[in-house]
Amino acid sequence: MNQLETMLPKLNEILNPYRSNPEALIPVLQEVQEVFGYIPPETMPHIAESLKLFPSQVQGVITFYSQFYTYPRGKNIVTVCRGTACHVRGGTGVLRVVQRELNLKDGETSPDYNFTLETVACLGACAQAPVMVVNRNYYGKMNPKKIETILNSYR
Amino acid sequence: MERLKSSKDLLNFRQELIQQIDPAKPCVMICGDTGCIVRGVEEVIDAFTKEIERQGLKDKIDIKRTGCHGFCERGPLAVILPEEILYQQLTKEDVPEIVKETLIKKNVIGRLLYTHPVTEKKIIYEHEVPFYEKQKRNVLSDNGRIDPTKIEDYIARDGYGAISRALSSMTPEEVIDCVEKAGLRGRGGAGFPTGTKWRFTRQSPGEEKYLICNADEGDPGAFMDRSVLEGNPHLVLEGMLIAAYAMGSTEGYIYVRAEYPLATKRLKIAINQAEGLGLLGSKILGTDFSFYIKIKEGAGAFVCGEETALIASVEGKRGMPRIRPPFPAQSGLKGKPTCINNVETFANVRSVILNGWEWYSNIGTEKSKGTKIFSLTGRINNTGLVEVPMGTTLREVIFDIGGGIPKGRNFKAAQMGGPSGGCVPARFLDLPIDYDSLREIGSMMGSGGLIVLDENTCMVDLARFFLTFTQDESCGKCAPCRLGTLQMLKILTRITRGEGREGDIERLQKIGEAVKKSALCGLGQTCPNPVLSTLTYFREEYEAHIKEHKCPAAVCDAMVISACQHTCPAGIDVPSYVTLIAQGKYVEATELIRERNPFPAICGRICSHPCEFKCRRGELDAPVAIKSLKRFAADWYFENVGEPPSPFPVTRQERVAIVGAGPAGLSCAYFLAKTGYQTTVFEALPVAGGMLGVAIPDFRLPKEVIEEEIAHIRARGVEIRYNTPINTNYTVDDLKKEGYAAVFIAAGAQRSSQLGIPGEVEGLEGLLYGLRFLVDVKVGRPVSVGEKVGIIGGGNVAMDSARTALRLGAKEVHVFYRRTPEDMPVTESEYQEAIEEGIQFHFLVSPTRIVSEGWKLKGIHCIRMSLGETEASGRRRPIPVEGSEFFVELHTLIPSVGQAPDLSFLPPDSKLERARWGTLQVDPNSLSTNVPGIFAGGDFVTGPTYLIHAIAAGRRAALAIDKYLRKDTSRIEIRDEKVHVVDDVHLAAGEEMVEMKPRQKVPAHRPEERIRDFREIEKGFSEKQAKEEAARCLRCDLER
Repeated sequence: MNQLETMLPKLNEILNPYRSNPEALIPVLQEVQEVFGYIPPETMPHIAESLKLFPSQVQGVITFYSQFYTYPRGKNIVTVCRGTACHVRGGTGVLRVVQRELNLKDGETSPDYNFTLETVACLGACAQAPVMVVNRNYYGKMNPKKIETILNSYR
Repeated sequence: MERLKSSKDLLNFRQELIQQIDPAKPCVMICGDTGCIVRGVEEVIDAFTKEIERQGLKDKIDIKRTGCHGFCERGPLAVILPEEILYQQLTKEDVPEIVKETLIKKNVIGRLLYTHPVTEKKIIYEHEVPFYEKQKRNVLSDNGRIDPTKIEDYIARDGYGAISRALSSMTPEEVIDCVEKAGLRGRGGAGFPTGTKWRFTRQSPGEEKYLICNADEGDPGAFMDRSVLEGNPHLVLEGMLIAAYAMGSTEGYIYVRAEYPLATKRLKIAINQAEGLGLLGSKILGTDFSFYIKIKEGAGAFVCGEETALIASVEGKRGMPRIRPPFPAQSGLKGKPTCINNVETFANVRSVILNGWEWYSNIGTEKSKGTKIFSLTGRINNTGLVEVPMGTTLREVIFDIGGGIPKGRNFKAAQMGGPSGGCVPARFLDLPIDYDSLREIGSMMGSGGLIVLDENTCMVDLARFFLTFTQDESCGKCAPCRLGTLQMLKILTRITRGEGREGDIERLQKIGEAVKKSALCGLGQTCPNPVLSTLTYFREEYEAHIKEHKCPAAVCDAMVISACQHTCPAGIDVPSYVTLIAQGKYVEATELIRERNPFPAICGRICSHPCEFKCRRGELDAPVAIKSLKRFAADWYFENVGEPPSPFPVTRQERVAIVGAGPAGLSCAYFLAKTGYQTTVFEALPVAGGMLGVAIPDFRLPKEVIEEEIAHIRARGVEIRYNTPINTNYTVDDLKKEGYAAVFIAAGAQRSSQLGIPGEVEGLEGLLYGLRFLVDVKVGRPVSVGEKVGIIGGGNVAMDSARTALRLGAKEVHVFYRRTPEDMPVTESEYQEAIEEGIQFHFLVSPTRIVSEGWKLKGIHCIRMSLGETEASGRRRPIPVEGSEFFVELHTLIPSVGQAPDLSFLPPDSKLERARWGTLQVDPNSLSTNVPGIFAGGDFVTGPTYLIHAIAAGRRAALAIDKYLRKDTSRIEIRDEKVHVVDDVHLAAGEEMVEMKPRQKVPAHRPEERIRDFREIEKGFSEKQAKEEAARCLRCDLER
């Protein structure tokens, strides 16, 4: 069985309620990413066919939205906020420290797939600036010591 | 719960719910919003649940997990009902005490209350806390009182009462009419009249109409929509129901951005519950009206907040805007008429219907009705969500509600409207905020993000920051935005890296305006706003970056090695000399200072220390006491280095003349001598030092210190000719004729300004002008003051005059200043010392007339002032309060209201070009006048300013004169330099974790003792203190 074949059962489960409904592309892609951790490129033609779309249209949507990834990411997604409130309260410094701690740049994944680092323009938790999120956990008022402690707890 | 089949059912249900509520039952309303979760509220809620259970009080006490209360800075917080006591900054350890003392015994726990920052009073009740007092929480009224996951809480507070009324007693037309008359405008940013949009949609042909709620809150720094969605989702649903009814829509979407998973979750729960009760879905409340709401999640694209891009995204496509017309109201989702409104817009609708349009239109300004929620973030004490009526001023929001700027810093600007908005500088603090007033000044309301910036924010960096965001989010469809943002970003990045070029400002302006006019959608049309508005109001910052390679806020990494050095006008390598002091190398430290400043001992006593205000250590606990460290090193040098230094070798032929032996003149001479020139300084007085030599009292700057520093400079080969004024007998031209190849005029600003009021007669006994008074005392002339002395003014001369008068035997010394203490140019420590010595201050008072009898002073008439509108500088203009005059009896009056340069020594036929206000016109970069070879600088050109500016001007002139004499026409470039990097052994910077360590206090003589004579007040650091203080430096320069 090739990669796609192993993914098909889960994939069809996601697609079934939306067959022939091109408007559902984004929710479908969101579910696919939720299940597989990313959007495997092999699945793309199948998704297109099921929703009655051209592969180019699907590819266009995947590459337009920053939420979608076509490659696997780490187990722990570390998101550093680069919104204005965080910026004004030292967000750049936070990013620098996180980059140093994880030895990763924005968008990179560690070789052991434990961490992925990304930045986002605003998480809406501005009162706690500067903010860092790991998976779904929010951490506010970051400083170098706190960052170190928090990241270590995910190692 | 049973399905409600009519409006009456709803009413009955509400009555039932209300009856079940016991208003006297203690209830803890605890904020469960994301912001408070980050601060650990989950543990607190857990602790409450467990404690109440443990004590068997489950039936007697309620805990309700509510949405955002707004006062995010003080979270985790809770309001205890029925009393409405506010407890803030809670930890799980506080819980047992709260349960025992407050919930059971009804006692208030003082330490958990909010303390008023000024009065220091503890405030018990929520509505008395200043943060809440000035707000008008209309949309947010339920937020702190309901559990957003329980529809019954919402219904008990009149929830769904508005749609019920609309369905039972209003036609769709009447609903639209009501919303139109109320004057509700779109809260997403553009402010389009909501009723009108509904009307257009209703009037568009076709049965199928869509309603979309834009919950794509993408503005960085804005989180009010999130808090409404998470804290009171039913409010939004109800607004959508009313809109749907009004325009005849049966299908609606809520488009929530991907980054708000909790909001999506809460909405889903709310929709489920509403459907279950028949308040949403088919045949609502038993009528023919049906409306279904689906949730669509965004996938991370800021541009999808734009309505046509949003529609494309709902349709499963790339979120690219399209051209309008046709507007969505005519042709939107799937080609059908679609009305898109923002979350906050929908959240306002209920109160319009329930309270009526007259009530609503009474709030706000003429064209902007109702309230607006602002997310107040950035450099502000009370971060959080603030809801105020339109027309509230920025000053009220930032200072009264927001609590002002932390660490006593100065307000610089507020960024409103996020990346689409513009900055609002201090001069507009009294502007009533509404849609139109903001647009007029180049900003916009936007979604309501209000980011406060202080003096440590670089406006160029801010513009670059916003462009980075919009450039990344630009969809790329239209060339102006795709290419324009890229080019603007490139230029801004170059400027912040110190690679700005001549013409960059004009380029930015041109590109920005072009993009505004030609971009396809709102993103492109507004993205130049941050650039254009910062160019309008902070052009000098751009120019400093480009022309002088300086970042005034000391932020731009590429140009700033350490903020202290960058901010010092003389560019002294502060971290290095501080480290040398920590290492015990005091002589080396002093020599390092002398590379940029030949007055270390004097500056160590009286410098205004801009470095300390930017010291990063100050973010942690308190800034390093840089000034006092400098004094310690210099004093040590003078005590321990016996031999005078040898003269600098003369390697150049040319001789340079300097007019005035003040700090600017002597610094110029010193650095010219160091470069190898022969210099002669012509000084009119018998003593050197300028203002330093004659105007600063001994108790701040002893004569011996001045003499030592000047002797050092002279030993280096600088010739000073005393009692040799340059005037009409011996002119600047004469100097040139004598063979001086260049002349630097640094004659200072020593002409006392007059008060300009009636009765001010020269020669009046008892009337002494401040500067003259100080000079006379310092040079030893006999001066006496009466028992009651009055000083007019608030600057250094005024302060020094007051304290000198005290030491000369005055019994009462009163200082009258027309502004407030914060506006006084003197340092905080000087002011405190004056108060300690018993000087009495009267603020917001101005003299109107001097009264005398014969030739003797009797007193002055004064008038009280109040603060009026904000001036361009950001300060408020004092205006006299009519009828508030009063008389003050005085024996001596010392006006000290400023000094001006005195150009009268220049012959009338001098070719030197004058500037507008009586000073000489000089090139700011080279300090050259219009006559080649003649330069001018220091107070003489700028008017009175701080010592370190004069010293920096002196050095700049030396560099310029050197270039001139070598026929080098290039610009003077003064960059931050490190001559050698000193190791950071023994410093705080080397440690893993920096501990808080208070700043060392400089020991001083006690006030009662020191006012008896003119002894120096401050004793200076001991060696131990100096080493410990120097070890607090974080060595920001080593981050490079």
